[in-house]
Amino acid sequence: MNQRADDVPGREALSRPFAPRADATAVRPSPHSWRERSETRSLYLLAAFLICAYALPFVVGAGAGTIRLDERWLANLATVVVGGVMQGGVYAMFAVGLTLIFGVMRIINAAHGEMVMMGAYLTWVSFFYLGVDPLLALVLTLPVAFLFGVAVQKVLLNAAVGAPELTGLLITFGLGLTMIYTAELIFTTDFRTIPYAPGTIQLTSTIAVGQNRVISFVMAVVISVGVYLFLKLSRLGKAVRATALNAEVAMVCGINVQRIYLITTGLAAALAVAGGALVSIQFGFNPETGVQYTLQAFAIIILGGRGDYVGALLGGLMLAVLENLVSLMVPSGTAMVELAAYGLMIFVLLIRPGGLMGVKEG
Amino acid sequence: MKRHEHLRNLALLAVVGLVLAFVPDTLNVYQRSFVLFTMMYVVLALSWNIISGFTGYTSFGHVAFYGIGAYACAILVADYGWHWLATLGAAAVVAGVVAVAIGYPVLRLKGPYFAIAMLGTAEGTRVIATVWDSLTHGGLGISLPSAETSFETYYAMLALMVVTIAVAYAIGHSRFGVRLNAIREDEGAAEALGVNATIYKLAAFVLSAIFPAVAGGIQAYKVLYIDPPSVFFVQITIAMALMSMLGGKGTVIGPIVGAVLLYTVQELTWVNFPTAHLIAYGLFIVVVARFMPRGLMGLAIDRGWVRKGMVH
Amino acid sequence: MPSRPNGVALEVRDLRKAFGGVRAVDGCSFAVPGGKISGLIGPNGSGKTTTFNLLTGIIRPDDGQVIYRGEDLAGLKPHQIFGKGITRTFQITRIFREMTVLENMLSVTGLSVPDRVARERAEELIAFVNLAHLHAEYGGRLSYGQQKLLEFARALMTDPELILLDEPAAGVNRTLLQHLLEQIHRLQEMGKTILIVEHDMNVIMNHCERIFVMDYGVKIAEGPPAEIQRDERVLDAYFGRRRT
Repeated sequence: MNQRADDVPGREALSRPFAPRADATAVRPSPHSWRERSETRSLYLLAAFLICAYALPFVVGAGAGTIRLDERWLANLATVVVGGVMQGGVYAMFAVGLTLIFGVMRIINAAHGEMVMMGAYLTWVSFFYLGVDPLLALVLTLPVAFLFGVAVQKVLLNAAVGAPELTGLLITFGLGLTMIYTAELIFTTDFRTIPYAPGTIQLTSTIAVGQNRVISFVMAVVISVGVYLFLKLSRLGKAVRATALNAEVAMVCGINVQRIYLITTGLAAALAVAGGALVSIQFGFNPETGVQYTLQAFAIIILGGRGDYVGALLGGLMLAVLENLVSLMVPSGTAMVELAAYGLMIFVLLIRPGGLMGVKEG
Repeated sequence: MKRHEHLRNLALLAVVGLVLAFVPDTLNVYQRSFVLFTMMYVVLALSWNIISGFTGYTSFGHVAFYGIGAYACAILVADYGWHWLATLGAAAVVAGVVAVAIGYPVLRLKGPYFAIAMLGTAEGTRVIATVWDSLTHGGLGISLPSAETSFETYYAMLALMVVTIAVAYAIGHSRFGVRLNAIREDEGAAEALGVNATIYKLAAFVLSAIFPAVAGGIQAYKVLYIDPPSVFFVQITIAMALMSMLGGKGTVIGPIVGAVLLYTVQELTWVNFPTAHLIAYGLFIVVVARFMPRGLMGLAIDRGWVRKGMVH
Repeated sequence: MPSRPNGVALEVRDLRKAFGGVRAVDGCSFAVPGGKISGLIGPNGSGKTTTFNLLTGIIRPDDGQVIYRGEDLAGLKPHQIFGKGITRTFQITRIFREMTVLENMLSVTGLSVPDRVARERAEELIAFVNLAHLHAEYGGRLSYGQQKLLEFARALMTDPELILLDEPAAGVNRTLLQHLLEQIHRLQEMGKTILIVEHDMNVIMNHCERIFVMDYGVKIAEGPPAEIQRDERVLDAYFGRRRT
């Protein structure tokens, strides 16, 4: 095609600017510089912001005197970072569920944390009433979760695809409330824990990690990688990704988009419930803990780049490590841990709405 | 719209205002506070509707302004000895300034990203209120010293509601409101028609922030105790959105109808089904959002009972 | 009244815009004569609509100038350019669907007149494009042709000096089109400058006084219709595509 330019005689001459005209000699320059923020620049800005975000707990800690540069404290720091990575694997896994629904249908699932909570209770019930090992219970709970997700999609969310964001937000928020209060009715608001693999693993003489955390992390990695491979390699997974890119084109290519929606939400619910199972063997939970997971998952997918799988995994690790650093060094840590998630989310949205992966709006 | 229609609507508002001004004597304490909270939700839903209904920017964190107003009032009354009515003006100013500071960056985000950012803002504000001990007394909350008669707060809320309705009505029937609608429908096209979207959105956002702040202030003085979880309660945002949607967001009358209806239903179910009412509320949200996203006004417009559009 | 009846209304100098590696507009220059109807044509993908979007600030140019009344408009925001007296319509109509026809008209800024006057003007213009009977209907309920007329009327609300029309004939039936063209000529008689992007050669050749031809992001020819019809380069651009 480029050759054609040479075929046209005089093309060069014609495209030259006009000679100045009488009324255009004194041109006032445009007062605005119109250089648009480039992709790379926003990535640098994001990197700078993240460095500041990670430095902040240290600065605050230095100010508040919670940092002691002795061996014990350094061991603490290392433990916290390792623990953060372990925790981050689990975060990443349930955030991936949220990112799937968002990527494919542009729906924000505000009930995602409640699905995590549901997973925790399902595990708890099978552990205490059926005596099933929490990890073995996944064989039972994941199909249930998948069907739950399919039902939610069929009855509720199909109506929200393509609708203004408020519709999907309210439907899922209402669903979340219903789940919370149903759980309270059945299980009360008492905190529950599942005693599982309570031992620790010594990494070095001073750094130790709970067995349950390591097991959770490994499980989370296995499941995440499994789902990733499913999306990358299988026919169905490719159809899911095609639908996420452009539902109309996918439809024209013969993909049954309605069925993809069902599978997506089913898969997302299964990931959330698996996340719940892994959370339940590490932390206490009650019906209202889900809200916190929803917000963490939001922060993670914004940080990673919404709809981006690998981004969500990265985001999960980064958020969990940051949270643990905050809780180690910043006074009144528990509240500040929450602030870390919101702060990360808002600033990433403002600096680089595409997140780490620079996802662009289609 | 013809001049006489505006006059008729103005008269209607005046009559409602007068009736509500004369009833408190005949009501018992419970009924009075029921009416007060109904009026409060009318204010909240109508304000939310300015940015989210008229302008199409779904704020999922509007409770932030309500909470900021409540704290402004409580701090100034409890720690600085202000008269509570004076604090309401301060609440409006503080919320307006915060709305500019938050709105300028956040209103560049569109659709779901704006919604999520606002949710984060509201939760972030709650955490700040919890952590900033020296100003807010942290998680302990603030008790207000007062001899509350429940009449003062009633009249304040009534006045606020009348003003909010008048402002919402004025916006809804003006070219300013039409331009907000244009931003909702197609921001790019609106800009190509000369609408400075940045300024219009910010104006709508600030307007939608100050009334909830004042309402929060009145509420703080009414219940005499506030703490972060109660005034930054995410469900207050949901109520604003749901009420607007139920009545018909983007209209003036819709959020009013939705607020009165929903608050009444909520109160009735709460009284009659103390255990199950929260589950019922959750299901109700789902059903409204799922089956009638355009609300009662949408239904009325489709049936031809109400004219299309706001400007006639 | 036009400020310079026979001068240049709008001058584009060396305008450039690239999307990634694709140079959509690659050093385009032309001068739109004031008070006349001009046409901008070119094969698909030659950069016409991008040029329109650059002129109206919908997208920002990488380089170049857009000179209007001795002022460079390049890089200004759409609402600022609109404020200078330049309006446009879109290739695919962008009317406000959930707003009535009248509300669509009133959404335009820049009229510092009382509401009543603005409303009268809106009603007049709605009648001008034969939509008076639909003034209380939602924009989204109009037929495509009617939407085009509404968009055209909306662009006239502020009595602009320069009107850019992006494919006004597409999707409009013959009767409506005839009516639309009459209105365009009436506007020209009133001293307005009009620039049309159009694929319908009948419209271009019969109604424009001056035609600019674009291909690969640059202007390849310019002149009155009769000249353009005989121009080798134009024929080559349209019919002589040699694929490599």
